[in-house]
Amino acid sequence: MLRILWVLWPSFVVAGIAEGIFFTVVDPQELYLFGHPVEFSKIATYSIGFFGFWAVCAASSMMTCLLQISAREVNKGIGAHGGTEGLS
Amino acid sequence: MVSITTKQLPDGKPNFVEESLYEVHKKVHPRAVSGTFASWRWALVWITQLVYYGLCWLPWNGRQAVLFNLVERKFYIFGLVFWPQDVIFLSVLLIISAYSLFLFTAVGGRLWCGYACPQTVYTEIFTWIEQKIEGERNARIKLDAAPMSARKLWLRSAKYASWALLALWTGFTFVGYFTPIKSLWDSVWSFSLGPWETFWMFFYGAFTYLFAGHLREQVCKHMCPYARFQGVMFDPDTLTITYDTERGEPRGARRKGLDPRSIAKGECVDCGICVQVCPTGIDIRDGLQYECIGCAACIDACDQVMEKMDYPKGLIRYSTEHAIEAHWGWKEILGHVVRPRVMVYSAILGAICVAFVWGIANKASLRVDVIRDRATLAREVEGGLVENIYRLHVINVSETPHRYAISVTGLAGIDLIGDRIVEVPAAAARTLTVQVRVPPESGRKGSNQIFFDVKSLADEKVAVHEKASFLQP
Repeated sequence: MLRILWVLWPSFVVAGIAEGIFFTVVDPQELYLFGHPVEFSKIATYSIGFFGFWAVCAASSMMTCLLQISAREVNKGIGAHGGTEGLS
Repeated sequence: MVSITTKQLPDGKPNFVEESLYEVHKKVHPRAVSGTFASWRWALVWITQLVYYGLCWLPWNGRQAVLFNLVERKFYIFGLVFWPQDVIFLSVLLIISAYSLFLFTAVGGRLWCGYACPQTVYTEIFTWIEQKIEGERNARIKLDAAPMSARKLWLRSAKYASWALLALWTGFTFVGYFTPIKSLWDSVWSFSLGPWETFWMFFYGAFTYLFAGHLREQVCKHMCPYARFQGVMFDPDTLTITYDTERGEPRGARRKGLDPRSIAKGECVDCGICVQVCPTGIDIRDGLQYECIGCAACIDACDQVMEKMDYPKGLIRYSTEHAIEAHWGWKEILGHVVRPRVMVYSAILGAICVAFVWGIANKASLRVDVIRDRATLAREVEGGLVENIYRLHVINVSETPHRYAISVTGLAGIDLIGDRIVEVPAAAARTLTVQVRVPPESGRKGSNQIFFDVKSLADEKVAVHEKASFLQP
């Protein structure tokens, strides 16, 4: 459980920052999706953008979490079960 | 959010451990507390929440006073209108907030956490609701342990429903800072709320509910990055909530009015109330811990006990490491507030604040972007003149509509074809296409510098002198 939140929470915070910076600089109406101008409402574009950022950041956090598992834990197979026992 | 898991004890018997969303932990039932610092906390709850729930309803010049209009890409803050180009102000504001936090932390420890952080404030409100519905600490512990009954079901439902209502209102208010709140309110009642507005309302509401109702101190302990690095700003002269070990130990129970020295004890009566009131469930007598959010609830609680025992107050108090060691009074503590670290933070903060205010006061009320037409470089028109085409993006940043005169200079015989006067409504932008014509002998071959002048007809000082290049073939 703790590990899921380690992934979701920091990525949420960073996605918020990324969203703010990105959409300050870029007007959603200037965006193109597969070669066509984005036709969603601005609020929709902002929202989808936020979840996109969140997903990307979460993927990064997930990888960090994966690489943090020590050799001993990998050998014991703790990481494979996603358990947190023995980690704290 | 609370589930029960079993854990094997070494002797093989299963031990029931409550597992909340975040980690195996003991649920904290903070005991209500009153006193000086509790009053301060409640004052901050009122101030911050009156601002939060109220400000979005305040009108200003026929619009919402504070509105971060994402659709129009304009931020309105009373008389000021910020465009995406003004992002520098937002960045500077963030830097000011960060430095203020550093300064307050260096001087007074976790003042932000204890009094002003939304997590603390909403937890305070949610705990108050819980206490009004389910009763005081002991009643709540009893209720938690009791099996489900009609009464428990009713109390729980009432509590969760009240939390949900407040959370939903908080979510609605949040969205109301980004979409005009009055039209948002109307669309709630006409069931015409947009899908994304609805989504964000419930999203923010749900997180308020989860964080303030269920996660509480766990957010501070496990999710807050500030809690992890605030120690860097601390030094031995930083005010923190401190238990006076020398005075309090050895702790122990005793009859009222007994002189602690006569029974070879310290002044701590070991009543445990400081632990009961702690929203993060720590024992401050174990020394400063990163879990301590500096809310000072234990100070209020201990002071009341000391009063009852006829002991001097302040066994737990705001003090510094140096002050405790050297038995300083307030005079010496305050004398050590001014120190290099504080001076450096203050100097930087002061300089940035001055620059910020100066920048806001001198914010341009007109902005002009000149973009050369990309399609045609230069062409010859009637009379042998050479023409270049430009797009002028005229942004009226002010709160009043303006008529602007456009002129062009920089080359002999230069002239403008097209609108020479442009009217731009308040806080709006207009893009217009202008043709600039020059005799072929004017300037040199290639790029020549020219200037566009855009001047308000009403106020000469509102003017922009913008550079552009004219291409001579």
